Amino acid sequence: MVLLQVVVGGLLLGAVYALFSSGLTLIWGMMNFINFAHGEFVMLGMYAALLTVVWLHGGPAVFGLTAAVALFLLGVVIYFGLIRQVMRGPMLAQILSTFGLALLLRYLAFWIFSPNFVTLPKTSLAGSVNLGGILLAVPQLVSGLVAVTLTLAMHLTLTRTTIGSRLLAVAEDRQAAMLMGIRPDRMQSIAWGLAAASAGVAGALMATAYPFSPSVGETFALTAFVVVTLGGFGSVPGAMLAGLIVGLIQALSAYYFGPIYKDVVVYGLFVALLWFRPQGLLGKL
Amino acid sequence: MRWGPVALIVVLLAYPFLLQGPFYEDLGVLVLLSAISASAWNIVGGFAGQVSVGHAMFFGAGAYMPLLVYQLWQLPPVVGAPLGVAVSLAIAVLIGTPTLRLKGHYFSMATIAVAELVRLVVGNWDLLGAAIGIMGPARPRGWWDLTFRSAVPYYYLFLAVLALVLGATWWLQRSRMGYYLRAIRAGERPARSLGVPVSRYKLYALMLSASFTSAAGSLYAFKTGFIDPESGLGILVSVQMIITAALGGAGTLFGPLLGALILVPLQTATNTWFGGSGSGVTYILYGGIIMLLARFEPGGLLVLYGRLRGGALRAWRRHAA
Amino acid sequence: MRQSAAGTTRAAAGISAALVIGMAAGHALAADAVKVGVIFPLTGNAASAGASAKAAVELAVEIVNGTDKDYGKIPGAGLGGLPALGGAKIELDEADHQGNPSVGQSQTLRLITQDKVVAMLGAYQSNVSFTATAVAEKYGIPFVVGDSVALNITNRGYQWVFRVTPVASDFANNYMEFLKDMTKAGHKVETLAVVNENTDYGTSVAGTVLEVAKSHGLNVVAQIPYAANGTDVSAQVLQLKEKKPDAVIFISYTADTILYFKTMKALDYLPPMIIGDDSGFSDPSFIPSVGDLAQGAMNRSAWDIGKPGSVTSKINDKFKAKTGHEMDDTSARDMQAMFVLADAINRAGSADPAKLQAALKATDLKPDQIIMGYRGVKFDQTGQNTEAATYLIQLQGKQYVAVWPQETATAKLAWPMTGWK
Repeated sequence: MVLLQVVVGGLLLGAVYALFSSGLTLIWGMMNFINFAHGEFVMLGMYAALLTVVWLHGGPAVFGLTAAVALFLLGVVIYFGLIRQVMRGPMLAQILSTFGLALLLRYLAFWIFSPNFVTLPKTSLAGSVNLGGILLAVPQLVSGLVAVTLTLAMHLTLTRTTIGSRLLAVAEDRQAAMLMGIRPDRMQSIAWGLAAASAGVAGALMATAYPFSPSVGETFALTAFVVVTLGGFGSVPGAMLAGLIVGLIQALSAYYFGPIYKDVVVYGLFVALLWFRPQGLLGKL
Repeated sequence: MRWGPVALIVVLLAYPFLLQGPFYEDLGVLVLLSAISASAWNIVGGFAGQVSVGHAMFFGAGAYMPLLVYQLWQLPPVVGAPLGVAVSLAIAVLIGTPTLRLKGHYFSMATIAVAELVRLVVGNWDLLGAAIGIMGPARPRGWWDLTFRSAVPYYYLFLAVLALVLGATWWLQRSRMGYYLRAIRAGERPARSLGVPVSRYKLYALMLSASFTSAAGSLYAFKTGFIDPESGLGILVSVQMIITAALGGAGTLFGPLLGALILVPLQTATNTWFGGSGSGVTYILYGGIIMLLARFEPGGLLVLYGRLRGGALRAWRRHAA
Repeated sequence: MRQSAAGTTRAAAGISAALVIGMAAGHALAADAVKVGVIFPLTGNAASAGASAKAAVELAVEIVNGTDKDYGKIPGAGLGGLPALGGAKIELDEADHQGNPSVGQSQTLRLITQDKVVAMLGAYQSNVSFTATAVAEKYGIPFVVGDSVALNITNRGYQWVFRVTPVASDFANNYMEFLKDMTKAGHKVETLAVVNENTDYGTSVAGTVLEVAKSHGLNVVAQIPYAANGTDVSAQVLQLKEKKPDAVIFISYTADTILYFKTMKALDYLPPMIIGDDSGFSDPSFIPSVGDLAQGAMNRSAWDIGKPGSVTSKINDKFKAKTGHEMDDTSARDMQAMFVLADAINRAGSADPAKLQAALKATDLKPDQIIMGYRGVKFDQTGQNTEAATYLIQLQGKQYVAVWPQETATAKLAWPMTGWK
């Protein structure tokens, strides 16, 4: 029973990892771009949720949406204002610019919201349910399920819709896509919007259960890096699978070896896996 | 370019006399430290094009060993510096062999993971002070403890090490190894087809880079007299090296030094002016400036310098003609 | 404050060397003001604690510089400055060490050598206190440590370091005495669990607690270290649920403390008693976030707001007006350190660091002269306050009340805790 409890808890958290990593893998695969500010998008999603609750008195459904819209716009703005120019430079310029961006976003939030921890005022998501002996907090359950749904939706959008195939076309071969009449700039800005939005929604979901402050993003950025690499750059199903696996491994090792070893196990397995399968779980070489 | 380096060397040598006062001397030391570690990183990250985001493990090895030999046997910390280099070389071989097979971002991510592993392990290892860290001599027992009140001795010590790193880099640039590394950075497959022993030379570059990074860590430990997992092995230690090198110009001899000359004073100045207010403006400015520099000069500031200089030269020629 | 105003006017300056020279400026002070340097983590992960401590120290200075005489016997309060120095005001020179030992070192150096402060106060994180006090020692400037608890800040033979706060072994002894008293009162306390975050703070306090528990013959059934930045604490709660300790000591920061109570409720587990080691349990966001889940939780504190109309309650009102939240123990300990320093400067009758050092060594404050629940303030050879003490408070309703030891208790202890039930 305890094992089942641990497993379900880990998978639900892993689903949220999958959601914010799916955005990162999209831009990583499409543009070969490392984004050090991805954790800050998650953090901004949390504050977007907070503002929605305080100003608009909106519930989880509303603040999920506002976080998505706000972060989508931010992603597009960042693409046109920064990424488009930096993309032409070497890989190091990506690290330099997005690290600067991360500091800027984190401390703008710090300036506006103060460094204090906040929790969302009580929302409709509260309490816990007993599913055949497994106790689950409602916020955790809802965020896990919503995250899975949205990650799947993201995958379906990419594979089944016109805009998705255009996005993938640009990822596949920018020149060829341009010849087909696809405007790469537009597609790439949409990709950045989607990436930021997925992180923002994940942040909003986590905010229902998790206290946050402006410096909370750091942890998520590292988790997202691991998940994206593990899943294979550019693969949304890979990120989904890897997210769930990372959540599960963390939960199991935290319970059986002790919480301090959960990241040791994750990083250890990560390095080992790269040795045997450098392209990630579902990546192509 | 003839007069540039000469002027730079003169200014670096004379700095403690130009800007006196302990705080400025200390700032000079911090600039040199940052320049040393960024230049060390530059060997593998810039010249060989293998972007390691895990150099903190070498820095940490160099920083822990001196304080550890003091803690365990009351030896002068300086004794630990060669040990730090030895440990770093061992880690470089151990880690480099598997990870250097990985390309591009996979290599970067693998180095992050390994460095985080090292940080987590050290943070729970009692011999190494676990999360609390270890301290150097509270008071110097003699000059050999390298615990000085004034920053000036550190300044010249650090400057000597920087000269050594830059000298090695300069030699590397001209040697056969330098050509190999440039070929590797341009593309591993073509390099291999030209007969470059790619894996071996990537490892050599990593080992050289690791040794110098470790030396930087040891210098940090002498000066600070204290080390803990976050300040010795945290991911920010690695990132700092990368942004310093990238800002100045990775893969160039003086790029990392230029980066350090800008970033460290910038960081200190923003903190000095705005830190006390507690509003976070320090990092809004610092982050914003880094971002804008990358936005407008993605290749690093040496590129800008080259362009300005080129422009100036052309203008001068036009004028002369 | 002065820094920000001076800073903004210079904000437009360029980068690189131009910046460096600019840093020397900024000496527009009243001729007779006594400058005290303060360093706290004002950015980075501990910024929220640092901001609160900074506000508390500023409030202490406002009280000393002001003329409001309503602060009981607190030495120097309301005299409009320092009478022994001709009414000179204390002026704070604040800096941010960013939680980084190296930055702490260079900022302390700057305050001492550029800004010529006569004394230092700080620095929250123990790792920064290590390096910052070493600089003050080198330059012969007194450094008053308000809140860093790691043992070896004071046992390095330094002559210029004075620590007002109790240290980890004091708390650990308190916890054990308390649990012993509980056993005497007929509650079952045979097994104990310690859950600690694994940076220097949690590790050092947990280590001391385990040692002391052993010497008291208490059975520690589980020690669970964890990383405070994790998003999930259910593993820890499940382990506790399995071991069923009679009491759990939590040494944790803010987000994790809040998460513990939420997770315990979700997993339907509540130990008979939870003792929090300050920090997260004292964070201003703790009670608003999970106060209704944590009814009866104990916390360590030497700060008690006290009855309306009392000196401490008045201080709390002022603090609340300034920051928007109530004074917590950490900030109050820093505030006390500032009062101790102000008293010493006044007794020294001079801003000369050596005279100040002598005055600090001669400090002898009585319980009614201080705002904290210490037995007084008196430094031993190493610079540690030998009269430092702490008491245990319990969350009852919307606030903590002092419940142990008996002599200082203002409310009756409830055992076991009721949590959300």
